[in-house]
Amino acid sequence: MGKSYNTIAFDSAKCDGCGDCMTACATTKTGTDDKTRSRIQIVGSEADGFELALCRQCGDPKCVTVCPAGALTKNFDSGVIDWSDTKCVDCLLCTVGCAYAGIALDAGTGHVAKCDTCEGAPACVPACPHDALTYITTSRIYNEVGDWEDLFAPGLAGCQGCNTELLMRHTLRRVGPETVLATPPGCVPGMGSVGFNGTTGTKIPVFHPLLTNTAAMLAGVKRQYKRVGRDVTALAIAGDGGASDVGFQSLSGAAERNEQILFMVVDNEGYMNTGMQRSSCTPYGAWTSTTPIGQGTGGMPSQGKTQDAKNLPLIMVNHRCEYVATASTAYMEDLYDKLDKAIAASKRGFAYLHVYSPCTTGWRFPTDQNMEVARKAVETNFVMLWEYNPTDGLHFTHSADEPLPVTEYLKAMGRFRHLSPDQISHIQGKVVENLAFVKQMAHREN
Amino acid sequence: MTTATLETPTQASPAKQKVILCEGNEAAALAVALARPDMVAVYPITPQSSLVEHVAALIADGRMDADIVDAEGEHSVLSVLQGGALAGARTYTATCGPGLAFMFEPYFRTSGMRLPIVMSIVTRDGITPQSVWGGHQDAMTVREVGWVQVYCETVQEVLDTTVMAFKIAEHHDVMLPVNVCLDGNYLSYGTSRVELPDQAEVDAFMGVKDVNWHVALDPHRPMAVDPLTGGTTGKGPSTFVRYRKGQCRGMQNSLRVIEEVHEEWAQRFGRSFAPLVEEYRLDDADYAIMTLGSMTGAAKDAIDEARDAGKRVGLIKIKTFSPFPVEALLKSLKKIRALGVVDRSVGFRWNCGPMYQETMGVLYRHVTATGSSLPSMSFIGGLAGADITVGHFHRVIEATESLLTKPAPIEPVWLNERD
Repeated sequence: MGKSYNTIAFDSAKCDGCGDCMTACATTKTGTDDKTRSRIQIVGSEADGFELALCRQCGDPKCVTVCPAGALTKNFDSGVIDWSDTKCVDCLLCTVGCAYAGIALDAGTGHVAKCDTCEGAPACVPACPHDALTYITTSRIYNEVGDWEDLFAPGLAGCQGCNTELLMRHTLRRVGPETVLATPPGCVPGMGSVGFNGTTGTKIPVFHPLLTNTAAMLAGVKRQYKRVGRDVTALAIAGDGGASDVGFQSLSGAAERNEQILFMVVDNEGYMNTGMQRSSCTPYGAWTSTTPIGQGTGGMPSQGKTQDAKNLPLIMVNHRCEYVATASTAYMEDLYDKLDKAIAASKRGFAYLHVYSPCTTGWRFPTDQNMEVARKAVETNFVMLWEYNPTDGLHFTHSADEPLPVTEYLKAMGRFRHLSPDQISHIQGKVVENLAFVKQMAHREN
Repeated sequence: MTTATLETPTQASPAKQKVILCEGNEAAALAVALARPDMVAVYPITPQSSLVEHVAALIADGRMDADIVDAEGEHSVLSVLQGGALAGARTYTATCGPGLAFMFEPYFRTSGMRLPIVMSIVTRDGITPQSVWGGHQDAMTVREVGWVQVYCETVQEVLDTTVMAFKIAEHHDVMLPVNVCLDGNYLSYGTSRVELPDQAEVDAFMGVKDVNWHVALDPHRPMAVDPLTGGTTGKGPSTFVRYRKGQCRGMQNSLRVIEEVHEEWAQRFGRSFAPLVEEYRLDDADYAIMTLGSMTGAAKDAIDEARDAGKRVGLIKIKTFSPFPVEALLKSLKKIRALGVVDRSVGFRWNCGPMYQETMGVLYRHVTATGSSLPSMSFIGGLAGADITVGHFHRVIEATESLLTKPAPIEPVWLNERD
């Protein structure tokens, strides 16, 4: 397995060319505010907008290949291409070899200069006022997870474009083989977690609870292992319907008893496996097969679900669980951080992880848009990413400030296609209300 | 009172026994402690409540080393135990009435997973109208889903049978859940002299615990528990058939195992109970009445009085109701010429008692075996906590006797209708 490194990413759509990043770099690296000496350069593009001239810390670096002095070397620990002032002969061949203008002459020193990522804390990134620069730190996920065994067999039978297989594989890699997995009826066993006719896709103990008793059965498993002194992780990967509707009693009871289990809800906002019926996690206005669109009677058309979604993760916070968090597969680093915390918390008591899972089949969007829909949900505050524990209270883990209008999310999928302006304004109003409510909780819990 | 007096031990007691006075619910709790379960899950419901209170007290006092789960309802009670059993725990709970109804979804599943969970049903009548009193309707309503169900006559039998239930359930030829049914009110709160077996003797009787050798949720031997059956042809349905046939085989095996375990119990502890069907003064009887549970005590008194009056009547008591002891009952029925069956619950579909309905199937076997029919009739009594008195049983005896000379009535006799 190859190694992955953290990197600086650039979103040209957000850049207005202000140059604050260059000032920050020059200040850090040269002690001056001379932008020409910055190792990051924002340049006008041939089209309208801006491009980035910056060292990409290539895996197959041409600058290193062309250097006749051995002054440039790829550092396989940090991923950075290091430059040695004692070996460099100032021939500038590297500046010709690089296709990204990532290494250039610094007139102030007379030598070439290039980005070294400020040893993993690049000064340019926080200086950008428009979030056009991001320091991507997800390399640890690739490096760590890639070495862990995939505990599902290849070929789970999910719908095309579904992110749940991703979630299942990554979660099981992380929890490891000393785990008992509960997958109540829904998409997860539908994909083959427990299997059909005696064959299974899972390499660890796995079972179907009833839709109604996942938390209770898993609690029984965990208690017995605790009794005999064995450290076994008890993990549920459940759908939102079973958790929020018919299985809610056993979920709430297990949380109240602080059973040492990790309960992960994959929230695709309905009973998608059985044909896209409404659950109490289905949002207002959404089409489902039991909240269809039609003329109705008496001038009262049927226009999707008429109630707002039950906010299950907030209800779990009010159980004062050891850990509660919301997560999204569009923000894997955040998800991984929360998974680590949830696993640790499940050794002390009840841990609850609520992962939003756009359903390409049931929500009606193209199969290559899953991550984009998940991201838009967060960017519009339709979904908020936060975590809670009894000591530190509730915190946002992704800024909920400056959200996009909720229409940016709604228009991405067919289940909201029929919405009237009134319905859209209801949803936008609820987003604002929900944000205020969670902010209040964050304030209070802190 | 139908609470029977304790039978005198039929042989010298070889084991150390402590004599105590307790109610049936406490006797069940003490028996559970003797069986050393790893996990008990509890939820209170009348008339079972004092049973789980006794269990909780035994654990709190350090007289019982088990993980107690105060679950939020009976549905979770049984579900927690299923998880525990799959992880290797010996498990126990108790319930009744609406609690059993609420538990039905995991209850149905327990026998399919072959989990040897022991559960007392402190029997209670069903709603509606609201009744918190005794009756067999709850246990009868769930008789068709693969649990072994045995009914007790006395408090001592509750204690002894509850211990035996674990051994029966966990027998490798059985591997099925077992209900020990004790009559709500009459046995649950009926106080009686009880001999309490010695713990070391019970440990020797129970042997080595081995509850999940056949199905487990254990990272040391990973398996997928309860896979889906794919498709309506081929391997899916055939897998399903194997599950069901296995359950039926376990049920039939349990008839032999119940007898063996009762025999071993009698040898170790000196108390012997008819394991499947008990005959009382039947050998020279012309006709018999058939009973279930605590009503049998009053019925036997009535038989004795009738015998004193010259009537040639006997009694058949069913102890093991599920699986229905067809062969054992057939043997008893061959001794008589008329039968009256007394139920403490209602069979709505056949307009008779459920035990009578089951018995009708055996009566067909009787015809094919002997070439002659056996006239019979159904009595329903003791609903909603009502007592079935010696007087009631005299009516039963009289009506049954009339079957020797008159046609059997189609309608059941409702014993307490004009009490």
